[in-house]
Amino acid sequence: MEEFHSGDEVSFSPDEASNVVKECIEGIIGGVDYSQNKVNQWTASIVEHTLTQLVKQGKPFKYIVNCAVMQKSGAGLHTANSCYWDTTTDGSCTVRWENRTMYCVVSVFAVAIAL
Amino acid sequence: MHLVPGHSRTPSFPLDGIKCVLESFFIMANQPLPLSQETLAQFNRSMSTEPGASGPPRRRLGSISTRRSSKDQSKDQPHHRPLFLRSMTLPSSESSFLSPTVSNSHISMGKRFSFAGWHQGGRVSFSGLYLQQPIQEVYVENTYRMGPEPGCRFNASRTQQILQATLDSYLEGVCYSPDSCSQLCQMLADLVLSKLKDVNPPRYKVVCQVVVGQSGKQGIRVSSRSLMNPNTDNYTSAVFHNHSLFAVALVHGLYFE
Repeated sequence: MEEFHSGDEVSFSPDEASNVVKECIEGIIGGVDYSQNKVNQWTASIVEHTLTQLVKQGKPFKYIVNCAVMQKSGAGLHTANSCYWDTTTDGSCTVRWENRTMYCVVSVFAVAIAL
Repeated sequence: MHLVPGHSRTPSFPLDGIKCVLESFFIMANQPLPLSQETLAQFNRSMSTEPGASGPPRRRLGSISTRRSSKDQSKDQPHHRPLFLRSMTLPSSESSFLSPTVSNSHISMGKRFSFAGWHQGGRVSFSGLYLQQPIQEVYVENTYRMGPEPGCRFNASRTQQILQATLDSYLEGVCYSPDSCSQLCQMLADLVLSKLKDVNPPRYKVVCQVVVGQSGKQGIRVSSRSLMNPNTDNYTSAVFHNHSLFAVALVHGLYFE
């Protein structure tokens, strides 16, 4: 399997991805309050929409989209990630969003595939 | 190799399957050079040009760790920046293509470089720091492999056991504390990654994420979706909670040609 060093190697653009993510979050949980019944479908739609938008960009990446929605009650939340990959082509981006009643943390990881 | 005191050496990355690139000596002024991360960030900032991915691609299997906590929104670190930094250490026995004509090329770029000294054929950056030897490109032969070998897939159940065992052993009896938990979270992610690197089959990239939170009366939901090849790739997760904290760990294994 020959690899073409065409010089056209795409690397992940975290800014673009973070814009996509922010729009998706706003669209789904923009003006609502935390609700135990609905949070399940919120997280599912956030990850699904984000993933479809990212795929529409047509770049040669595998994506992992992770979303955590937590009710605001004074408790603390930490996330960390560690990745073993090719640092020149792969990347990640994390977006934190909040409103009056909840926090939402979305992480996107993009892993390049060889064409 | 002489380094300015106060700058930490970058860790050396595993060399299996790495393609190194021969760096041309007629380098553009805005191309990132192999320096330690702090000096390179400084260099890039002072250049005030985008450190793009120009030039021949350099493939590195390296670890990148990040940390995010819900409270510190004000400190938005430029978290994607380290991806453009290609800091490498090399054995000093690599031959160097240093030639006297390099000084002309630098000046022609519009920047004046001061060549403070040439110890062991080392190059000097504009700030007077010694640079490391250029990276030699290593061409790897074709393996004509289309997928992972039969016994070499990402083993989800074994990974899950390792993940669960790590979480249980590490977080047994730990109490949540806002100051220390962000470091705990990061340490856990790195620890899981190092354990997985040992059992990982070759040609697999690993993404590991850990969420740690205080156990209160709040509700939380963590969900994940990914676009990957179901024949070769997989993921696992593990959850731990005690009276004061909870932790969720997610690991994805992705096959790479």
